[in-house]
Amino acid sequence: MTDSDWRALMVAAQSGNAGVYRRLLTEVGVWLHRYYARRLPSAMVDDAVQEVLLALHEKRHTYNATQPFGPWLAAIARYKWIDRLRAMKAATMEELSDDLSILDHGEAVQSARSLEVLLDLLKPAQAEVIRLVKLQGLSIEEAAARTGQTISLVKVNIHRGLRRLTLLAQDQADEL
Amino acid sequence: MNYDSLINRLAEDLKPVRRRRLGLDIMIVAAICAAELALFFALGFARPLVPMMMKQATVWWRLASLGLISLISFSLAIQSFNPAFSPRLGLRWLAVIVAICLVFGLCLSAGPDGLNAIIHRLNWRDGVQCAAKMIALSIPPLVGLSVLMRRGAPTDTRRTALLVGLAAAAWGAFVFVFACPFDDPLYIATWYSVGCGSVTLLSRFVLPRFTAW
Repeated sequence: MTDSDWRALMVAAQSGNAGVYRRLLTEVGVWLHRYYARRLPSAMVDDAVQEVLLALHEKRHTYNATQPFGPWLAAIARYKWIDRLRAMKAATMEELSDDLSILDHGEAVQSARSLEVLLDLLKPAQAEVIRLVKLQGLSIEEAAARTGQTISLVKVNIHRGLRRLTLLAQDQADEL
Repeated sequence: MNYDSLINRLAEDLKPVRRRRLGLDIMIVAAICAAELALFFALGFARPLVPMMMKQATVWWRLASLGLISLISFSLAIQSFNPAFSPRLGLRWLAVIVAICLVFGLCLSAGPDGLNAIIHRLNWRDGVQCAAKMIALSIPPLVGLSVLMRRGAPTDTRRTALLVGLAAAAWGAFVFVFACPFDDPLYIATWYSVGCGSVTLLSRFVLPRFTAW
């Protein structure tokens, strides 16, 4: 797409043509992605592109139709790029050492696995409502709607399922 | 890379816009400056003997220098509100012009003096008052230019803010010439520089915070 094409699209967009504007932003997005891919860490590229698209939208009235579109867009892209570089410089960066200790998640994983094994020993209807209400945090009404059970049945299944889980856990502890 | 949702949102939000026109910005700034000057004379802030005052060489030096500096600064500042315009080169030329104006004023100054005579000529009590009045007179164009800058899209906000400050300060000093009772070039070069410099620096450091986009 040439500069005159972009210029025509921008002029139409300034008049309020949404379809043309969508096409222009898509084209500009591709161009900006290439522009920032060479200048910023890859994790920041998408944010930078979106920021420029927003800026272009907000300042579209400053584009002069008698001037080429490319330099106008490039100036905005460069301005936002420098802004990002300044922000990166101002942000404190901490280098991670090689012997950095991290929390051991083994216990949590083991607990989750044990719970799954115990839930498998329950009736499916009990296990399902316990998962929804006690693990995923849904309300009784939401669980009832999700499973097709009545509200009172959900309550009964939870109560009975938890009691059965307690007994199963006690049995396992006794065996150990 | 997927910006579809953002693009759709922006396209849905699209409304026709009135393009920024350079001529309109110039007219707004010119109207503010003209109104300020007219009000200044109408309220009787000018010296009573302006025609006699105009016979002095230092008055013409002040009016010509400050008029030229404010004209160039206004022009560069308004152009800088366009993202594709860089004020860098213009600022360099402006610095040269300011230096030439100051040197010219110093050439008008009387011969060498001792330190006590210089301190006496500087007259700091009146000088501070003059600088304060200049700062007050620079507020209307400063506010006008700041609003235009916020509406525009300057991509070099620091230099643009510097130009805005210099333009407003030079105009404030230009208007103040009609009320200033002092003719000593040393006094004028010093205190006019203090007044203009204060507004320019204030604008340079404060304005970018309010006009970031």
